[in-house]
Amino acid sequence: MADLNDGRVDLRRSRGRFVAFGVAAVLVFTALGGRLFQLQVLGGEDYARRAAADRTVEVPIPAPRGLVFDRQGRAVAVNTPSWTVKVRPADLPEHDRRRVLARVARLTDVRASVLDARLSAFQGSPFDLVPVLRGVDREAALIIGEESESLPGVVVEVDAVREYLDERGAANGELLAHILGYTGPISRDELAARPSSGYLRDDVIGKTGIEASFEHELRGTYGARLVERNASGRLQEVIETIREPEPGTNLMLTIDADMQRLAETALTWGMDVARVSQGVTIVMNPQTGEILAMVSLPAYDNNLFARGISTDDYNVYLTDPDRPLRNHAIADIYPPGSTYKLVTAIAALEEGVTTASRMWPTYGCYQIPGAPEGECLYDWNRQGFGPLAMVDAFAKSSDTFFYQMAIGTGIDALAEWAYELGFGARSGIRLPGEEPGIIASTEWARQQGRSGVFTGELAQAGIGQNVIAVTPLQVLNAYAAVANGGNLMRPMIVRGETDATGRLVREFEPERIHAIDADPATLQTMRIGAREVITSGHAYNIRDLDLPGALSGKTGTAEFGELTEGGTLPFHSWFVAYLPSVAGATDAELAVLSFNYSAIVPGNVSAEVVKYFLQLYYELDQDLRLDPNDFSLVTAN
Amino acid sequence: MGVATATLVDSVRARDWRHFDLQLLLYLLLLITVGVVMGYSAAFNTDAGAAGGTSQTVKTVIWAAIGLTLFFVASSVDYHWLRTLAAPIYLVVLGLLTLTMLIGTNLFGAQMSVTVAGLDFQFSEVSKVLMIAVLAAYLAGRRERIGRLGTILVACALMVLPTFLVFRQPDLGTALVFVGILVGMLFLSGASLGWMGLFAAAAIGAAPIAVGMLHDYQRQRLFCFLDPDADPQGACYQLVQALNAVGSGGWFGRGLTVGGEGQRGYIPVQSTDFIFTVVAEDLGFVGGIIVLTLFGLLVWRILLIGWQAQDAFGMMIACGLASMLVFQIFVNVGMVTGVMPVTGIPLPFVTYGGSSLISLMFGMGILQSIRMRSHKPTL
Repeated sequence: MADLNDGRVDLRRSRGRFVAFGVAAVLVFTALGGRLFQLQVLGGEDYARRAAADRTVEVPIPAPRGLVFDRQGRAVAVNTPSWTVKVRPADLPEHDRRRVLARVARLTDVRASVLDARLSAFQGSPFDLVPVLRGVDREAALIIGEESESLPGVVVEVDAVREYLDERGAANGELLAHILGYTGPISRDELAARPSSGYLRDDVIGKTGIEASFEHELRGTYGARLVERNASGRLQEVIETIREPEPGTNLMLTIDADMQRLAETALTWGMDVARVSQGVTIVMNPQTGEILAMVSLPAYDNNLFARGISTDDYNVYLTDPDRPLRNHAIADIYPPGSTYKLVTAIAALEEGVTTASRMWPTYGCYQIPGAPEGECLYDWNRQGFGPLAMVDAFAKSSDTFFYQMAIGTGIDALAEWAYELGFGARSGIRLPGEEPGIIASTEWARQQGRSGVFTGELAQAGIGQNVIAVTPLQVLNAYAAVANGGNLMRPMIVRGETDATGRLVREFEPERIHAIDADPATLQTMRIGAREVITSGHAYNIRDLDLPGALSGKTGTAEFGELTEGGTLPFHSWFVAYLPSVAGATDAELAVLSFNYSAIVPGNVSAEVVKYFLQLYYELDQDLRLDPNDFSLVTAN
Repeated sequence: MGVATATLVDSVRARDWRHFDLQLLLYLLLLITVGVVMGYSAAFNTDAGAAGGTSQTVKTVIWAAIGLTLFFVASSVDYHWLRTLAAPIYLVVLGLLTLTMLIGTNLFGAQMSVTVAGLDFQFSEVSKVLMIAVLAAYLAGRRERIGRLGTILVACALMVLPTFLVFRQPDLGTALVFVGILVGMLFLSGASLGWMGLFAAAAIGAAPIAVGMLHDYQRQRLFCFLDPDADPQGACYQLVQALNAVGSGGWFGRGLTVGGEGQRGYIPVQSTDFIFTVVAEDLGFVGGIIVLTLFGLLVWRILLIGWQAQDAFGMMIACGLASMLVFQIFVNVGMVTGVMPVTGIPLPFVTYGGSSLISLMFGMGILQSIRMRSHKPTL
């Protein structure tokens, strides 16, 4: 036994250090004991009271989202039951998590990593139910329900999700996607931006379209009930309902789904024959500003979003060069071409540059005043038209006539009249994403670091090229204002509130933005001119349509981009028209616009689209659509 | 027979068992019993009711049995083998931790576990005990040079890699325990206080950088203890509920398995890191003090064994184990009583978890082995 001492030769102990360590340990344990005394004996009652208060929680009761109906009272946005897979983290053992999520992923045909990421991103109490997958099909939901024994923490619940319907009541989102928009899970940013609005962490919110712009009305007010939790934190017993939920307001669109379908049919046909990839058709009541149809192609399926779109599907939309997610009617701006001659004409008449009867020479190529000899701007008609007065110049769409009008008016007066007609500012239609457009002015030039616009630019502005960019809705609204006798109306997309069956119970009043501050005679001249466009201008055979009124309108093309192989520029084509009872009358209740982006075939496909729409809408026996190979019969401008 | 010729056969000779420290075993058994009872009480209150409590208790008892077996095996083996094998042990620790980090904590349960009775084994737990042996081997070899700066530098160098690997898992708690072990062992080994003070000052200066490296959720939980009401439904949920539970215990507690009345039901992972809330709520202030006293007696016993060890290696192992226990008890109990940040460190012997328990019992077995080969007490 004594030989055990041999092992102690290397031992070098510090008594001081051991004592210090021991004292420190005693102090630590004493401090912990003291803290226990403070919490349990001194503060015990306080904590017991807090504990009791924590045992009841207020649980929100979601309000049913308001329904949306079309103008004829047909439901186009409804709530349907949908199965949502939710996970309660506290019930999902960590070591089992991978297996459980993998099984759920296999049953629902998604990647387990997606579920895992959604579960990990949640930051609430571990007893909350975290929705990890919405829109699960019924069969998978049933199987998950049956396997609940082996899937701890996984719950399948029925939630309401949005479903978007077409004019026949079928689940088909593309028809009205740009108007209705869609709902989706609230993002962290959206939640942070609405601190005390009662949104829940896993709530749904309108993302775009009227789902977003009427979010407040559609959402309703959530109710609340007081619920007691049992010891493991699960909700157990409802104590009382504090507030009943108030359902969201049901809305009626100004859109007529039938008319929307006709407009879509006509536009799809026109884009197809002209091989155009983006187009717009809008129909409006000029008297009230109500939008009856608004088609932007290509469209997207908002039902995919409402159900929870996959990353792959979303990327297809995002990478499409034709931007199907955007409403080209309001969110994109294009040069308006000859349709803008309405602005130049009204400006020239009102500013005293010309009178309705004064004749002006027109040219094949107009020499810009002050520019070097030979620097001239061409008319689309390289021969010129000879001397013209306003109505004929508008009907024939003489470029050189309007160069002179623009130069006579000056850039700032021209811009003022553009604003007067609603250009350069958002119309205020209650849809998200509207663009104001660009109107050239001295101020605009200064913002670019120049002292003013060049005369050449001024002339170009007069025919709606280069320095002018507008939305299709602005063009239609300007013509509607002339058509109704001078009232610039705020375009309406929602007509009013309805009951649950789609019957209108409160109608929104049409709103006039302002009265156009022009001599009524000037507007009358323009209405006559617009009628002349149809009857004697180059809108070709559209005059032969057997319509219940005197169709009036304007064609337009706007060249842009780079030369094609054939040596021509691609161009946008425009056609805008309205239908008064007789020429010059202000009683039109229908105005139509079509816009086609980047046509490379000659002719004006937009005029063909409007023609086809009118044939369909008025159920005419005639079919005056041109053979697509023969579009060149129509002069481009 | 001298130490140089000590063999495995020699080390299990019956005469050693006369020095077996019964007090050490007694405190361990009492603490494990507390763990089993508290684990039962905690599990009882989940929805599974008594059945859930029983099944978890069976698992804990199985783990405790494995732990005790390991305790006796380690007692009977001469602890000097650990010194001989220090270098390979160090490499094994690095290997296990690297593997854990590469495969990732989420997959840990499925890929890296030694499953016994349905429970996972975490390598970071056993690596704490193994690293104590590695450090002890190094410090014991320093002899008269213990007071030099090199002692601290090399010890830090040995510790930095395992600490980093655990930190990246991410397991902030275990990483901090490594640091606690290092500081405690250096202090008790007789390393230069001046240099240690300088290093401590530097570490405090660098603390903001370390906090910056944390995950958001770690940082939120870390700072909850300063103001638990800042986010009582979110990051501080656990802490707020834990304080309520501890506070509602009073003098004598609410009794074991108090069914639906208990507060602790609101505390997630209560049977692991927050087990002390169950002790405090069920058994009250008196129960909490008894458990703390048991821990105090255990630490005293360990320090005594270290003081009486026959060589520096044995002494340093005891010092390491004492440092680890004091640090873990302080941080864990401090955490559930709201005086220390929430970091996820188990309460030794009491926290329900096989890897922690059998790693600790292995360490205590080594301690017993040191005791059996040392002098009779001469304080």
